[in-house]
Amino acid sequence: MSNLSEPVKRASAHTRRTGKKSKDLNAISPLSNVIFNIAIGLFALSCIFPFLFIIIISFTDEKTLAINGFKLFPEVWTLDAYRFLMESGQQMAQSFGVTLTVTVVGTALTLYLVTTYAYAISRKNFAQRRFFSFLAFFTMLFSGGLVPSYIVVTQVLHLRDSIWALILPSIMNAFYIIVMRTFFTTTVPDAVIESAKIDGATEFGIYTRIVLPISLPGIATIGLFSTLGFWNDWFNALLYIDNANLIPLQTLLIRIQNNMDFVVQNSSRVVSYDIASTLPTETVRMAMVVLATLPVALAYPFFQKYFIQGLTIGSVKE
Amino acid sequence: MQGIFKSLMKNKAFLLLVLPGAAWFIIFAYLPMFGTIIAFKDFRIHPGGFFESVLKSEWVGFKNFEFLFSTSDAYIITRNTILYNLGLIFLGLVLAVTLAIIMNELLNKRLAKIYQTAMFMPYFLSWVIISYFVFSFLSVEKGVFNQIITYFGGDPVSWYSETGYWPYFLILLGLWKGAGYGSVVYLAAIAGIDRSYYEAAMIDGATKWKQIRYITLPLLRPLMIILTILAIGGIFRSDFGLFYQVPRDSGALYPVTNVIDTFVYRGLTIMGDTGMSTATGLYQSVVGLILVLLANYAVRKIEKDYAVF
Amino acid sequence: MKTRKIALLMVTLLLAFSTVLAGCGGSNTNDTSGNTASGGESGDKDTVKLKVYLIGGPQRDLPMVQEEMNKYLMEKINATVDITMIDWGDYSKRMPVITASGENYDIAFTSSWAYDYLPNATRGAFLPINDLLDKYGQGIKEQLDPRFLTGSQIGGQNYAVPVNKELASQWVWRFNKQYVDKYNMDITKIRTLEDLEPYLQQIKDNEPADITPLAVPKGFKPYLAFDFLLGDEFPVGINMNGDTGKYVNVLESEELKSSLKTIRKYYQAGYLRKDVATLEGIDNIKTGKWFVDREQTQPYAELGWSRSAGYDIVTTPIHDPIILTGSATGAMHAISANSKNPERAMMFLNLLNTDPYLRNLINYGIEGTHYNKISDNVIEDLPAMKDGFQMPGFALGNLFLTYMHKEDPADKWEAFKEFNNSAKVAPSFGFNFNPDPVKTEVASISAIVKEFYPSIMTGAVDPDEHLPKAIEKLKAAGLDKVIAEAQKQYDEWKAANQK
Repeated sequence: MSNLSEPVKRASAHTRRTGKKSKDLNAISPLSNVIFNIAIGLFALSCIFPFLFIIIISFTDEKTLAINGFKLFPEVWTLDAYRFLMESGQQMAQSFGVTLTVTVVGTALTLYLVTTYAYAISRKNFAQRRFFSFLAFFTMLFSGGLVPSYIVVTQVLHLRDSIWALILPSIMNAFYIIVMRTFFTTTVPDAVIESAKIDGATEFGIYTRIVLPISLPGIATIGLFSTLGFWNDWFNALLYIDNANLIPLQTLLIRIQNNMDFVVQNSSRVVSYDIASTLPTETVRMAMVVLATLPVALAYPFFQKYFIQGLTIGSVKE
Repeated sequence: MQGIFKSLMKNKAFLLLVLPGAAWFIIFAYLPMFGTIIAFKDFRIHPGGFFESVLKSEWVGFKNFEFLFSTSDAYIITRNTILYNLGLIFLGLVLAVTLAIIMNELLNKRLAKIYQTAMFMPYFLSWVIISYFVFSFLSVEKGVFNQIITYFGGDPVSWYSETGYWPYFLILLGLWKGAGYGSVVYLAAIAGIDRSYYEAAMIDGATKWKQIRYITLPLLRPLMIILTILAIGGIFRSDFGLFYQVPRDSGALYPVTNVIDTFVYRGLTIMGDTGMSTATGLYQSVVGLILVLLANYAVRKIEKDYAVF
Repeated sequence: MKTRKIALLMVTLLLAFSTVLAGCGGSNTNDTSGNTASGGESGDKDTVKLKVYLIGGPQRDLPMVQEEMNKYLMEKINATVDITMIDWGDYSKRMPVITASGENYDIAFTSSWAYDYLPNATRGAFLPINDLLDKYGQGIKEQLDPRFLTGSQIGGQNYAVPVNKELASQWVWRFNKQYVDKYNMDITKIRTLEDLEPYLQQIKDNEPADITPLAVPKGFKPYLAFDFLLGDEFPVGINMNGDTGKYVNVLESEELKSSLKTIRKYYQAGYLRKDVATLEGIDNIKTGKWFVDREQTQPYAELGWSRSAGYDIVTTPIHDPIILTGSATGAMHAISANSKNPERAMMFLNLLNTDPYLRNLINYGIEGTHYNKISDNVIEDLPAMKDGFQMPGFALGNLFLTYMHKEDPADKWEAFKEFNNSAKVAPSFGFNFNPDPVKTEVASISAIVKEFYPSIMTGAVDPDEHLPKAIEKLKAAGLDKVIAEAQKQYDEWKAANQK
């Protein structure tokens, strides 16, 4: 690793020779620990606090909300917002299933495509790697716009009303590729790869057997981002899906919300029998945030276990 | 030509690896890019499909770009966009790295994990929702800030009309929302650092701070530089919700909250001109590209491996 | 090295280009086969499938109802429809994309507030239908108030079939009846903004602070008797009490200056909410804590408002009903310029607007399943309607053909017709401004308006200080140029129509 200073290189060679592993004598002092805990704890609290509030608001009566504003202890509790959303209950279960499928399949595909591409362009003996890096990166800046993308998906690929319209347009991402490539170049020493090649391994073999296992934190990161991206996507369905059975969760929720907003704003035109002021618009909006976010918030810990240091000990040493 | 073919054959293992990804880019990213040409045309619908419409629409050169420059607002929106982005990029970098490093050092790992999950939550909130919360703090009549101020005998402040505070509000909110997400990448990077480096340094008598300075930060440098270069590519774009929803579209605040994206949005509500909105996107992309090329070139000169390409 | 890179780039681009051609070819062959089918003549002999886009939430029972419709349509015009509902919020975002992509749909809903009729028609999205109306749309022309058709013409051509409904527009003051009764107010005397003053004061003095006397959001503007060029968020219009041949800068008019003085007084007296300039929407109906607000009305609207609010709301008009060009484009159905079956599409629209059976089928569903008939024209909803089939009636076609509910006054449609007939027509009625020659200025002005209007028009800031600033900035952005262009186009239109 050329980026480290000389004393450290010497010292780590020393550790390797003597084989001694020290027992966290390297930890920070208890005082620092407390200070940091408080600082980060407060920050974390500020991040969580809105959510607690949102949950409370989602159980508040709409009228009380309009009169009293956001209160931690509302005067009137109600399940109205959830009842409103549950009217589309069956649809919601269906949408949940769609989102789950899309997220799992999409993330799997993304991980495969991103890591293989990133691996290839991380290797110095790939003569065309600058070109392919640029090919990916350029797409981060330029896009053709809505209509051309729509045409590619519907007319060239005929994916309208197909679940693939929800997956394929999102499986590659230049940002992920570049992050992954950086992970590969900094955590995998050239020496390891060279010795594997001398042993006769193929590029693909090196990729699967050596590089991937070392890069678990990076893969977990991309996996997390990709999962979140697919889970939160509502835009693809808005454009390409009419079949109610294929509408993902976020799109459903956003549609419910847009409709409410639209009807309320245009109430003079849409004068109908029982709408507008009886719509629990604000509380439903909050309930939707709860429904849309909780499942994924629960997914985060799953990825967290890969962000532990020490996962890679031993694999680098040859 | 022979040379190229030979090179391609020699690298065929790699080419096979990039093939699916490259194919995706061509189909989903480059193919639609031809649509950018609308920026230079007065787009009208002609029977026969999109391509017919584009071909038959009149070429108008740079006319669709005019409104971006024709008013005195042009300077304001450009200045605001750049300054906010510079602040968010660099302060965001410092915050994300700091958080990642500190969290890695906390003694109680379970607490650290809880903090991590908590810090991630703002990412899920839309700016609309966040603007409600901001409103509950800044509302003239019932907002928390004014209630505190009047309690201590002061005069209530009309927050949504006073421009002075907003640059700070907006940057703080932008940082707050992105901190958790930004720190994840660095957390993962730190997790990949061989622990024995630290142990060896400790044996050598290095303090924690020295270890961070000479081991952690240098190892994070490639990532920091690359992410910053990428962020610079988006320097003319803004997170729309932050600059539109949070200030509640208050006219009095426009001098400090108007950015290119909000200006264009407001300008095109009556006409919805595709050519003009495409022109804006093209303008933002080209400026970003030039800046990235410059930054990338500069970085290549210093340390070849740290560049994006 | 460099040549290799360039060569690689060429290969890649070549690949991309060939895919483009392949895709191009694909969509073109679609068109040519379609074109031969609809050749020139009406082709009554072959069954045609019409693709229709309507606004509103997708309904569970739509396939069922559509099947019934198609049975009927096959008999009548040898055609079937394939309806796709696109939700309120998505409609304006998706339709332009669908149209620009060249899809061969036949009919789409359009209006001034959803999938904006004017700009899209000008851009060529819709077919001019004057001939089609004459040949296959006789029924439409007979029952439609002719002003609908003249009002939605662009350059003498109609590009969509308007829905027969309320034509005139009228702003009213709405009052929370409990306060009207409490103070024994005679609201029939109230008409102008100034008239409100004593009553607003009464409420402010005697009621607790959380009752908002004038409950309006930031979009509020004092009523001005102007015929606006591009809606009331754009300061160009014709003064209907002045020279009705001239477009002027609304912000320089005496009427506005005096109204602004009034609203400023009201704001300072506390009749409006302090944060009105940033108030996106106001929830006064929900809370009930208000005295007066304003809204656009239609006959018997108070009944609907009172019903959905849960308490009584009464109204008085701010001005006489007037027919503006925008009023004619409140709900329309256009035939796509890419449609392969325009004749059959027109036949369908004709039927929709004249045939009560079809019109009520698409609106209320199937008798016995979704509703029961109480009498010839009155129905009662069944639970299946609320669960599975709720369609936006006003957007589907001739409203006057639809069944009523027993809560409706018996003379509801008569009242509508009376409302329409009593209204005057605005000076620029029928004139649709083409903003293209000044589109840069229009965009700049739109952006600047949003900076100033909310705070000035709601009285939140001193008009003497801020109005001149706004006027100066707008002029710098080219306001006078827009006015000149508007005047030019208007004069040309008047001459062409010999008004």
